[in-house]
Amino acid sequence: MKRVVDVSIPLGPVHPCWKEPARVKCETRGEKVLSAEVELGYMKKGIERIMRGRPWQEVMFLAERVCGICSVIHNMVFIEGMEAVSGITVPDRAAYLRVVMNELDRIQSHLLANFSYCYTIEHETLAMYLLNTRERAMDCMERIAGVRVNKAYMIPGGVRFDLRDTDRALLLADLAHLEDSVHRYGRMFDTGPLIATRSKGVGILMQEQARIARAVGPTARASGIAEDVRLTHPTYRKLAFTPIVRTEGDNHARIMLRFDEIFQSLGLIRQCLHDLPAGPIRGGGTCGAGETVSRGEAPRGELSYFIRSDEYGRILDIAIRTPSIPNIDACTHHMLPGVTSLADVTSVFVSADPCIACNER
Amino acid sequence: MVQSIFWYLKEFLRGPWIHAFLFAKTAPLVTPSYFREYPSLTEKECTHCFTCRMICPAPGAIEVLQEGGTWHPVIHRGHCLRCGLCVEACPEGVLASGRILQWQEEDRTSFAATFHIQVDHATCMRCGNCCVSCPVNKEQDPQMASGGHSANNEVIMKISSGRHTVIHEERCVGCRTCEGACPNSAIRVARVVEGLQGVAEG
Amino acid sequence: MSLLQDAKNWVRSRSIHVAYVDVGSCNGCDIEILACLAPRYDIEQYGIYVHNNPREADILLVVGAMTPPWVERLPALWAKIPAPKAAIAIGNCPVSGCVYNRRETYILGPVAKYIPIAAEVPGCPPRPTEILSAVLAVAPTVFRDYEVNRS
Repeated sequence: MKRVVDVSIPLGPVHPCWKEPARVKCETRGEKVLSAEVELGYMKKGIERIMRGRPWQEVMFLAERVCGICSVIHNMVFIEGMEAVSGITVPDRAAYLRVVMNELDRIQSHLLANFSYCYTIEHETLAMYLLNTRERAMDCMERIAGVRVNKAYMIPGGVRFDLRDTDRALLLADLAHLEDSVHRYGRMFDTGPLIATRSKGVGILMQEQARIARAVGPTARASGIAEDVRLTHPTYRKLAFTPIVRTEGDNHARIMLRFDEIFQSLGLIRQCLHDLPAGPIRGGGTCGAGETVSRGEAPRGELSYFIRSDEYGRILDIAIRTPSIPNIDACTHHMLPGVTSLADVTSVFVSADPCIACNER
Repeated sequence: MVQSIFWYLKEFLRGPWIHAFLFAKTAPLVTPSYFREYPSLTEKECTHCFTCRMICPAPGAIEVLQEGGTWHPVIHRGHCLRCGLCVEACPEGVLASGRILQWQEEDRTSFAATFHIQVDHATCMRCGNCCVSCPVNKEQDPQMASGGHSANNEVIMKISSGRHTVIHEERCVGCRTCEGACPNSAIRVARVVEGLQGVAEG
Repeated sequence: MSLLQDAKNWVRSRSIHVAYVDVGSCNGCDIEILACLAPRYDIEQYGIYVHNNPREADILLVVGAMTPPWVERLPALWAKIPAPKAAIAIGNCPVSGCVYNRRETYILGPVAKYIPIAAEVPGCPPRPTEILSAVLAVAPTVFRDYEVNRS
């Protein structure tokens, strides 16, 4: 089919708005985007190839380094997969601490995503507020695990470090502060008139389109699909988790959904800290042979690891499916076509929170 | 439009904002004491058991070297991930990083490991590099010649009657020196590590 | 002449424009550079301005383990930066390849093979304070008396 196209505009791979190298090619007529295509391959390191033949203590670090922003969930899903394969049970205290760490990571990832969006629509004040708030979440994690990014917190059979009572009190104080600031900035975003012109009704992803593209995570939940892998996770089920859903499906809904999920995560952490049972943090147990698919809800959506291991717990075969793959597809094929201004292309792309490092590994 | 001007005016006329604007000062750039820095040496004596090398997830990050008659681990910056596993795994407490050592004593956490040597006889060339490079073999039989032959039966592995033979697998410390020395990647050491708590070390 | 040079030295130590390029990292170092922008670290109070335009930059922060597509693109990007310029490798990846530097990997590191690296900040990832102090330490020494040293 022949189409009339004015200009085909490439954005990237090095672009002031992209944090990572990716090229988005937009076919435009005037300012209107007719179709978009994403071109990847700048970040392929072959992590799954490197993982083969290695024991958990090495693969754990490689799994974390699939994505530095949501490293905790990669660690968690891989370790839970190894535990399922080898029949290791986790002490209750460790299971709760894992949820605390995971939700803290989700908070900082969502704050970073919202920062990127505000930065892309040139609302630098709000962006800097959010980035500074994120530092507080990073402090919480640093106090528990001793490091800011790539924490290596979970091991088969438990976690590495316990939560001290002094740190628990500090964590609760920080959570209260986080809630205050996120509440304020969330309201700023929700009611800001200039933000609304850049966000409301831009980059709409309808529910059917989201289903066709198999969108996951906040991108799908902002389009009215109530899917969250945390619903099937045993520890989250104890905490009576229910996903948040919005139906608008535009940029504004996606960002507001992330703000709402931050409050939900704060609630989950408080609940965990309240229910935190006493006891050991490591149960021991060696990894063995088996095959499984382990799933978890990353900040960007459903993450799954297919794992096959040999009798000494070494990885024979591994396949990682990260949430950014369907989300980038949903973004380029369903959100970007029909965008009325080229200036919105970057903000629509960033609002889906694509993680290129996750995507290519 | 007018509404947004008022909004910004309201935002910037808050007392805390004006105070922060006039007296902006970043906190001094300090690293908190609990940060997992590069492992540093404590006063304790290293027994060159190679546990740190065994557990290290990064290639080329840690070496155990002999200098002036004493052994001590050396951390290579640019390779080390600051994961702190070596600090946790070291049975002697030679390394320290952040609060790991203190927490480990309080929680009585440790790592236990077993090792299994696997040789692919189809690709093994019987060159004996693994047997010669093995640090445990070197202690048992310092005379071991370049072919990996030895009269000593206390070594972990040797080349005997034209075949790579593993004699004492239980003596392996999992340092992976043999994997690095093998030209064909025929030898593999499986390290089965488990995290424990409340078990006396040793 | 020397007065002019002194003025240039002073200006260059107070106004450092930074671009960063991600040549295949895990995002860990990437977001630590972003965190430097946060008011807590406030990179701009030292006159460091981060924007991703190589044509305006003085310092290039290289993040990542050098994947094959960047082998020809990184030197091209480096050529676009006007002199005087310096590149700083952030994190373990550009220095050694970090955990990716193993059998069966795709990476073609280290970055120093392709462009001259003035300084390295090891760590996986380095803290924002480490990145900040590295940029502050490198910029004045590299750009000092640039015109004199060139002739």
